[in-house]
Amino acid sequence: MDYAISILVNGIVQGSIYALMALGYSVIVGITGLVTFTHGEVMMMGAFASFYVFELFGSNILIGAIGSFIVCGILGIIIYKVCYERFLDAPRHIALICTIGASMIIKNMAQIVFGPNQKPMFGIFENQLIKIGPVQLSVLQLVILAIVVILALGLSLFFSKSKYGISMRAVSQDKTAASLMGLNVNANALLGNVIGCGLAGIAGMLISVYYQAFQATMGGPLGMKAFSASVLGGLTDSRFAALGGLFLGLIENFGIAVSSASFRDIFAFIFLILILIFKPQGFSKKGGIKL
Amino acid sequence: MSQLLVANNVSKHFGGLKAVDNVDMIINEGDIFGIIGPNGAGKTTFFNICSGVYKPTTGEITFDGHSLVGQKPEQIARLGMARTFQNIRLFKYMSVLENVFIGFQTKTRTGLADAILHTAAYKSDEQLIREEGLKVLDSLGLLPFKDTKAGNLSYGMQRKVEIARALALGPKLLLLDEPAAGMNQLEKQELMHFVIDLNKRGYTIALIEHDMRFVMNSCNRILVLNFGQKICEGTPEEVREDKGVNEAYFGKGLLVGRKGAAA
Repeated sequence: MDYAISILVNGIVQGSIYALMALGYSVIVGITGLVTFTHGEVMMMGAFASFYVFELFGSNILIGAIGSFIVCGILGIIIYKVCYERFLDAPRHIALICTIGASMIIKNMAQIVFGPNQKPMFGIFENQLIKIGPVQLSVLQLVILAIVVILALGLSLFFSKSKYGISMRAVSQDKTAASLMGLNVNANALLGNVIGCGLAGIAGMLISVYYQAFQATMGGPLGMKAFSASVLGGLTDSRFAALGGLFLGLIENFGIAVSSASFRDIFAFIFLILILIFKPQGFSKKGGIKL
Repeated sequence: MSQLLVANNVSKHFGGLKAVDNVDMIINEGDIFGIIGPNGAGKTTFFNICSGVYKPTTGEITFDGHSLVGQKPEQIARLGMARTFQNIRLFKYMSVLENVFIGFQTKTRTGLADAILHTAAYKSDEQLIREEGLKVLDSLGLLPFKDTKAGNLSYGMQRKVEIARALALGPKLLLLDEPAAGMNQLEKQELMHFVIDLNKRGYTIALIEHDMRFVMNSCNRILVLNFGQKICEGTPEEVREDKGVNEAYFGKGLLVGRKGAAA
């Protein structure tokens, strides 16, 4: 019983990180209307950014989060300028192939600059366990959950209440009509991309802190997991994407429990294939980003 | 009366098709300007050129003293030209009030930094938008539907929301693309009076419409297009008497042809 609960807790914590990745992913796809394959590489850069922030400013997870958000936000601007800006009206596969190229460049540049080996991440928190009834979780797990919940709520508030959120939703639904209403489509799409990439950066930091390790090639499977989770919401519905992330974390952890840890990624991709076979349009009605 | 929108020799060619061919037009301030013509005459294309969706192949358009050639749609919207669409293009998954908020975006001055820091200026901006938005909805009788998703409203209502969204821009010129399409006679009557009322409140309006009763009773000047070319421009009376217009709508020598068939 205790074993099952601890799997459940691990699944939820891991799932919440996947949910954060998927949130960023669905914001980007929702706003630009184009699929991205740079998301995993952005997360990897977020992990590296947080590592150097920890080294420079000390092991504070909030400073790390801000640092990786800023670095990945800037990376988001570059990716937008290179892969999206000229192709918003072009056939979708052009931007898609462009993002694949960009992801290869980022990954290989990172391997050249940072080296290809796995590196240990700083331990941010003492390995202390908190007991709440039958549930046991570490301080780190609690902090991860708190960060993800706060970010998700903040994002939801931003999109439903602020004028920038409302304009971005308008742009995601109909770019022509939005521009004829005086909205700057390019600026909104850029802002959406920056937010999505920034969230990916924080997710990258959390996963590297959680695993206590990171490396230049970690982006590939992570990007695919963000994609798998977002597919549940038809790529653009953030609520379903977050749910998909949580679900993915649980499936992985229960899957590992009955098999072996080296099969971790298999469960994510079986999940992806099953969704694509039985519900390829996702569980949400199409309608731009929703939160 | 000053000239608000001046189109000079405007053409738009799609490959070999001359969708709009050498059209001149002047809309004066205070006009209700009607554009009519058979299907495929290039009316909507002409609107799209004016609002910046298409770039004209040749020609020059000036709006309120600014040249519109090379301007992006959002810049033109900010100069004070708002429009509705023939096939409704509301933000379907947003509430009616949020749709109208979008129209007000051009008027707010506060930037992203204000939004993040939640400054007083930002809060008063949001407050202002909300009040003005409710006012616009009220004037169109849409207040009870303010929280309904725009996509769930009836067709006639959606047309009204589109007009409300365009009015929120505070436009100097309002372009209405077939505002009465799909409405019954009663709704058309109501809409016509609403348009005339808007005009009295100071809005200059240009509209495309197929319903002749609507156009003849509301517009003070009418432009007739056929196969992309201007065939007539003038007051409703002049247009009604024009031979070219009758030919465009009813065909040349139709009666003669019939006689021939009978014999």
